[in-house]
Amino acid sequence: MGLSDHYPALIVVIFFIAAFLSPLLYRWARRVSAALIISALIAALAMVIALMAEVQQTGVVYYHMGGWAPPWGIEFKADSLRLYILLVVISVSLWIFVFALRDLQHELKKRVIGWYYTLYALLVGSMSGIVLTNDLFNLFVLMEICAISACAIISIKEDRECLEASFKYLILSAMGTGCFLLGVVMLYMVTGYLNYGYLHVELAEAFNHYPRNIFTAAALFIVAFGTKAALFPLHVWLPDAHASAPSPSSAMLSGVVIKIYAFALFLMFYEVFPRVLLDSIPLNEIILWLAALGTLFGSIYAMLQSDLKKMLAFSSIGQIAYIFMGIGLHHDSALVGGFYHIMVHAVTKAMLFMAAGVIIYSTGVREIKDLAGVGRALPITMIAFTIGSASMVGIPGTGGLISKWYLAISALEIGRPVFVLVILASSLLNAVYYMPIVINAFMQQEDFKKEAKPVPRIMLACLVIGMLFIVVSGFYTTPVVTLLQESFSAYF
Amino acid sequence: MSQSTVLAIIILIVGLPIIMTPVIMYSCRASEKLRNILSVATSAVTFGLTLSLYPFVIGGGEIQYTLFEVLPNLEISLRLDILSFCLAVLASFVWFLCAVYSIDYMAREHACGRYYPVLIFTLGSCQGIFFAGDLFSLFVFFELMSLIAYILIIHEETEEALKAGYKYLVMTIIGGLALFFGMIIVFELGGTVSLGVGVIIEENSALAFIAFICFLIGFGMKAGMFPLHVWLPDAHPVAPSPASALLSGIMLKTGAYGLFRVIFYVFSPELIQSAGWDLVLSVLAVITILLGSAVALTQTDIKRRLAYSSISQLGYVLLGLSILNSNAVIGAVFHIFSHAFMKSVLFLAAGAIIWKTGKRLIDDMKGIGRQMPVTMGCFSIAALAMIGIPPLNGFLSKWTLAMGALDANMVIYVLVLLISSLLNALYYLPIIIPAFFELPGDSSHEPHHDHHELQFNIQDAAPAMLSVMVILALCTIVFGLTPNNIVFTLSRLTAQYLLGGAF
Repeated sequence: MGLSDHYPALIVVIFFIAAFLSPLLYRWARRVSAALIISALIAALAMVIALMAEVQQTGVVYYHMGGWAPPWGIEFKADSLRLYILLVVISVSLWIFVFALRDLQHELKKRVIGWYYTLYALLVGSMSGIVLTNDLFNLFVLMEICAISACAIISIKEDRECLEASFKYLILSAMGTGCFLLGVVMLYMVTGYLNYGYLHVELAEAFNHYPRNIFTAAALFIVAFGTKAALFPLHVWLPDAHASAPSPSSAMLSGVVIKIYAFALFLMFYEVFPRVLLDSIPLNEIILWLAALGTLFGSIYAMLQSDLKKMLAFSSIGQIAYIFMGIGLHHDSALVGGFYHIMVHAVTKAMLFMAAGVIIYSTGVREIKDLAGVGRALPITMIAFTIGSASMVGIPGTGGLISKWYLAISALEIGRPVFVLVILASSLLNAVYYMPIVINAFMQQEDFKKEAKPVPRIMLACLVIGMLFIVVSGFYTTPVVTLLQESFSAYF
Repeated sequence: MSQSTVLAIIILIVGLPIIMTPVIMYSCRASEKLRNILSVATSAVTFGLTLSLYPFVIGGGEIQYTLFEVLPNLEISLRLDILSFCLAVLASFVWFLCAVYSIDYMAREHACGRYYPVLIFTLGSCQGIFFAGDLFSLFVFFELMSLIAYILIIHEETEEALKAGYKYLVMTIIGGLALFFGMIIVFELGGTVSLGVGVIIEENSALAFIAFICFLIGFGMKAGMFPLHVWLPDAHPVAPSPASALLSGIMLKTGAYGLFRVIFYVFSPELIQSAGWDLVLSVLAVITILLGSAVALTQTDIKRRLAYSSISQLGYVLLGLSILNSNAVIGAVFHIFSHAFMKSVLFLAAGAIIWKTGKRLIDDMKGIGRQMPVTMGCFSIAALAMIGIPPLNGFLSKWTLAMGALDANMVIYVLVLLISSLLNALYYLPIIIPAFFELPGDSSHEPHHDHHELQFNIQDAAPAMLSVMVILALCTIVFGLTPNNIVFTLSRLTAQYLLGGAF
C-alpha cells in the first residue's frame, strides 16, 4: 500500500500529530509552531483534493483502520459529498487561522497562544474525523474531542464571561453527547452493529421487531445533534459562547463547527436510518418546523441585541436553520440549497466575525450604537461587512441568494409555499438588523469618535478573500451545484 | 450591423459605466475637473452607443443572448428589442443631461467624490435592467440599481434624508423579496425565466396569480403605485435635484418597464385579460392617479409636490398597461417618454431655484419668474405639458390614452384622465402664476404702486444648467407638436411589437 491509500486516515491524523508537536515547538521556536499548523492544514487540503480526484475516477473510497474490516473495525468513507464538506471545513479553517495569527496576539495572553494552536488543530482534526467516519462509536469519540476543544478555545480568553459561556456550552454539549451515546446503545442493542452501512441494512429489518427502540434512538439523535448544531429551541448555549470567544474562535464555531453536526444529522437520516422509519413518523416535519421557527426567532433575537458579536451569534441560529430546512424538506434541490448554504454561510459568517474582530482590534468598540461612522475609519472592513450582510439577506450577486433559491424552489416543488414565505420573511428580518449597522457605519454625519489603530495587512487580506468568494459564489456556481446534485441523486 | 457588433455594443453600454465607476472615484484625487469631465463623457458615450443601435432596432432586429449560466436554466443574458431600446435611449439621454447639470449644481455640495461614481454606476445598472434577457438578470440589476440609488437619496445626510432613505431601503427589500418569490413561482411553473421564449406561463392558476401579485408588488413599489408609494414622496425630494430628476424621471420607469415585461413576456395579454387580472391593475392605477394629484395639492414644498405628481403620472402608464389595447399601450410607452422629459425639467428647474435662492416653499416663490425667467419659463412649459395643454407632449399622451380607453369602451377612464388634468392644473398653476405676476413678499393687503410694472432683476442659474433645462423643455414641445415625431413613432412601433410580435 502506498501513502496515498492512507489519505483518509492521514487527513485526521496529521492534525493530531500537529496538535501535540505544536506546544513543544512553541517553547523554543514560536514561528515554527504556527507554520506547522498551517502546513498541516495545507497538507490536509492537498489530500482532500487528491481524494476528490480519486473519487471522481474510481468511485467511493473506503478505508479500514489498521486493516480491520467492518463491522468490527473502524471504517472511514470518502465520497464526493463528504469531501466537499471537508474541503469547506479545512479551507475555511486555514483562512481563519491565517487571520488568527495576528488577531490572537491582541486577544490572548502570550503564554497561551501555543495552546491555542494545539486546540485549533484538535478541533479541525476531530471535525474532519466526524465527516469521514463511518462508525457510530468512532463518531462519538470524535464528537467529544470536538466539544472539548471547542469549549477550550472559548475559555482560553480567561475572563469571567468566557468561562461562564464555555461552562454552559460544556454542560449542554455533554448532554448532547450523552443523548447520542444512549441512542447509539439503543441501535447497537437491536442490531449489533455500529457501522453505518451495516446499520442501514439491519435497521430496516429490525424496525419490524423493535420499532420503539429505533424511535427512541431517532429522538435522541435529534436532541443530540440539535443541541450541538444550535437548532431552535436547543440553541441557548450558542449566543454566549460565540459572542464571548476570541474572534477567530467565534468565526470557527459559528462558521464551521455547528455545520458539522447538521451534516452528521443528515448522515443519520440518509445513511443510517432506513427510509421506512422516516416515512412512518414525521421526523422531517419536526425538523422542518423547528427550522422555520429558528430562522424567524434567530433573526428576531438578533434584532434585540446591542452587542455586535452577540447579534452575529444569534444570526447564526437563523442561518443554521436554513441548513436544517434543507434536510427537513426532503427533496434533492432542498439539500442542494442547504449544503450550498453550508459553504456560503461558513465563509460569510466567518468573515463577519473577522470584520467584528478587526473593529474590536482597531477601535475596541463592541456596541452596535457606537459603530456610527466607523466606515470612514475602517473602509475595507466595513465594505466586507456590507457584502457579508448582503449575502445574509440574499441580495442577488451574492452566494446567499443561490441557497435561498434552491430552498424556495424545492418548497414550491413539493407544494409547501408557506416555507417560501418563511424564507422571505427571514430575509427581510435579516435586512432589518444588518442594514442599519451598514448605514450608520457609512452615512453618519458626525465622525467616528474613537481612535482607530492601523489594521495589519494580513487581516485585511483575509477579509478581501472572503468578499471575493461571496461574490464569486453568487455567480459561478456550476461545479459545486453539479457535485451536490450528483451526490444527492444517490439518496432519492 | 452584425449580431456580434450589436452584442458588443450592448455589453459596452452596460459595462462602460460600471467600469468607469472606480476610475471616476480615483480621478477625484487628481482633480475635480477631471472627475466631472469623465462623468459627463461616460454618460455621453453611453448615450451615443445606445443611439447607434437605432438602425438595427428600427430594421426589426432583436437579440437574445446568454452570457453564462448561474444555475441550470438560470442565466445572465442580454436582450435587445424595441422596448429595451426605447427605455435605454431615454435613460442615457436624460442621464447625460443630468450629469451636465450636476457639474454646477453639485459644486456647492459636499461629498461629490461619492456622488459622481454612484451616479454613473446607477446608469450602468439601469441600462442593465433594460437590456436584461431574463427575469433573473433583470432582478440582479434592479436590486443593484435600487440599493445603490440609496446613496443618492441620502446624499445630504440630514436626519430627514436618512429617515427617508431607511424607509426607501426597507420598501426596496420588501419589493425585492416579492420579486424573488414571483420569479421562483415562474421558474417552478415554466421551468425558465428567460424573456426570449415568448410566453412563459400560459395557464391560469392560483400560483400564477400569486406570481402576478408579487410582480405587481415588486415593480409597482418602484413605480410608486398605490398603496406602495409611501417611500416615494419622502425619498425623491430629499435627494440633490439632478438625482431627484433621475429618480422621478427614469428610475421610476424601471418599475413600469418590469411590468411591461411581466405582462407581455411572462404572462400574455390574453391570459391577463381572460383571468381578469387587469382589473387589479386598473383599480390600483385609477387610485394612484387620483390620490397622487390630490395629495400633491396639499404640499407646500415644491419638490414634494413634484414627487406626488410623479406618483399620479406613473398611474397613467399603469392605466395604459391595464387597458391593454393598441392605443393604450402606445399611450403608456409614449407617456414614459413624456413624463421623463417633463418631470426632469420640473425637478431641475426646482433645483435651480433652490440652488440660486435657497427657497423650497412654494409660497416664497412669488416673483421668482422675474429673477430667473429662463428657469421659470422652462418650468412653465413643462407644467403646462403636465396639465395637457395641446401642442405639448403631455397632451399627446393623454389623447392617446383616452383613445385607448374609448376603444375599450371605458368612458370612466377618460373621466379619470380629465379630473387628473384638472387637478394638475390646480397645483401647477399656483406655482407659475405668482412666479411671474406677483412681487416677492407681495401680500394682497397693501396695494403697490408699481404693481403692473414688470421688473426684471435677472439672476438666473448657471448657463450649463439653463441649457440642459432648455433642451429638455424643447423636447416636450418638439415631441408634442405632431404625432409624426420620432418618439411617437417609436412608441407606436413598440406597441405593435408587443401586441403583434412584429412591426
